Amino acid sequence: MTLRSDHIAGGVFVAFGLLVFALSGDLPVGTLSFPGAGMMPKLVAGLVILFGLLLILRANESAPFATVRWEDLPHAARIVAITAAAIALYQTLGFLVTMTLLLFALTFGAERRHPLAAAAFSIGVVALTYLLFAVALKTPLEPGILGF
Amino acid sequence: MGTVENLLLGFSVALQPDVLWYAFLGCLVGTIVGVLPGIGPLSGISILLPATFGLDTTKSVVMLAGIYYGSQYGGSTTSILMRIPGEAASVMTCIDGYAMAQKGRAGAALCIAAVGSWIAGTFGVIMLTLIAPPLASFALRFGPPEYTALLVLGLIFLAYMSSTSLPRTLLMACFGLLLGTIGIDNMTGHFRYSFDIAELGDGIGIVPVAIGLFGLGEILSTPSATVVSKVIAPKLRQLLPNRREWRQSAMPIARGSVLGFLIGLTPGSAHIISSFLSYAIERRVSKHPEEFGKGAVAGVAGPESANNAASTGAFVPMLALGLPTGPITAVLIAALMIHGVPPGPTLVNEHPNIFWGFVASMYVGNLMLLALNLPLVGIFVNILRIPYAYLYPLVIMFCIIGVYEVSHSIVDVWIMLIMGMIGYGLRKFGFDPAPLVLGLVIAPTLEMSLRQSLIMSNGNWTIFLQRPISLTLLVVCAALLALAALSLIRSRRDWRSRLAEAETGENP
Repeated sequence: MTLRSDHIAGGVFVAFGLLVFALSGDLPVGTLSFPGAGMMPKLVAGLVILFGLLLILRANESAPFATVRWEDLPHAARIVAITAAAIALYQTLGFLVTMTLLLFALTFGAERRHPLAAAAFSIGVVALTYLLFAVALKTPLEPGILGF
Repeated sequence: MGTVENLLLGFSVALQPDVLWYAFLGCLVGTIVGVLPGIGPLSGISILLPATFGLDTTKSVVMLAGIYYGSQYGGSTTSILMRIPGEAASVMTCIDGYAMAQKGRAGAALCIAAVGSWIAGTFGVIMLTLIAPPLASFALRFGPPEYTALLVLGLIFLAYMSSTSLPRTLLMACFGLLLGTIGIDNMTGHFRYSFDIAELGDGIGIVPVAIGLFGLGEILSTPSATVVSKVIAPKLRQLLPNRREWRQSAMPIARGSVLGFLIGLTPGSAHIISSFLSYAIERRVSKHPEEFGKGAVAGVAGPESANNAASTGAFVPMLALGLPTGPITAVLIAALMIHGVPPGPTLVNEHPNIFWGFVASMYVGNLMLLALNLPLVGIFVNILRIPYAYLYPLVIMFCIIGVYEVSHSIVDVWIMLIMGMIGYGLRKFGFDPAPLVLGLVIAPTLEMSLRQSLIMSNGNWTIFLQRPISLTLLVVCAALLALAALSLIRSRRDWRSRLAEAETGENP
């Protein structure tokens, strides 16, 4: 049997539905006349499992899993890693420093642009955005350790 | 007050200089968002949502709505000049619009698209003016069972109209519903799936999910090396179509306007579906179907009018019923709620300034867009000269700011990143993330109305069948499910499968 993309997708959703059931242990389902906090999540988790199984049953209509193209995964992973680092630093370093570093890391690190061009772009864009939000739109951005 | 007096009240609000300015700003940003591939109207609206916090409700909704319908205008520019759909609703315009450009009629195609969009947009607003208030009055009769049935119908209709299969769409909607159950249960005070994270007590916000799935998810799926920008800009004097082209576009614009508005009333990606259906209809009714694909004027006029009318039509259930028909109207509802204005049947009577000001601003906005899009087309096209390697970092920065500024919560930004990764995965496996957002938005209302219905009937589930409105809505649900099952059994190649194929073929 050929492993198809819907076998994987359906399997993931069935597992997710079961996980929701496992995590909902302490939520009361209640009765029909007074439904509890667990009624809706368990009902919907059941539907997720049902539709996941339907997907697996009809998986023959989907493409073989081996044909799913993952060439863009390394690029996507780089973007996720850089963005995650920026999110982790955002409240500490603030908007100005974090976003300058984020833009530089993406343009120079991920896209291999000339370091000077990347630096000029990062500083210029962040400065303009700061002015736009803080001055024009009166929405102050995260100050961080710099205090502005 | 009658409709005319109400509309005059609306114009007295919409023509105030500051409201005009925000309508213009929305239209301008919307056009830019429409021009840029990879940034859809949803990302644009979500990113700019925090910037509206300092504004009053009318100005913020006027600006955000301007982005939505402005993006429908802008999307045609790249489709015609570069064969790149700026956003999904412009996919069909690529075919004949680009073919017209190849024949040296790019200016005429742009003009027909803009005029068609204006006529359809204005027609949509006129219909909105006439339909929304009586619909809102009718909706005042809705109790919890009717709302439950209406929301279930919304989900089923979405699944039926979707270009992906019924189980896939319902699976996505259920995933969204599950996400919507996170947080404190309003009826019993139980914490659900919050894992001791205080921020999750309020539930998962629409903005981080929408920006993550559509903004970041799109970027992760688009390697910069694959985005090539080859820009051509038509001259101003080449913009006017000849008499024959005007004649050929008249009926497609009229048909597209009516069709688009009607489809816009239904849940789903109405602006996308309407342009595909309009193209199919124009081809069917044309005396020269062989011209389609080779630069048929009707192939530009019909779909462009339809997607604009559909954008306006989507505001009817949003304003009159408080029901989002898609992720974009869901974010607009969130914007209204952030400002303490609940959309729905009471909006027309309790906040006439906002409702009628918003409606009137759309008349003005459509005119602004016509004035913006034709003479400035050369400038907008130049935005595409920005290399994608510089453009997407900028979008990521705005995604982070957009999400963080909503509630100054870094947890929301992490949620956005996680949703971005989920969006990337969903695209790989051929899932459409839009129903997920819709499920998330309606989850609290659906759960509350379902539980209220059961409590008020003392656990008797037949309450949904005993009330005429909910019974009618459920009968429509059953009919749609039966129709979907029938096409599944027959494996019929209907317009939805062709839509899916076209979307796959056109979107890299």
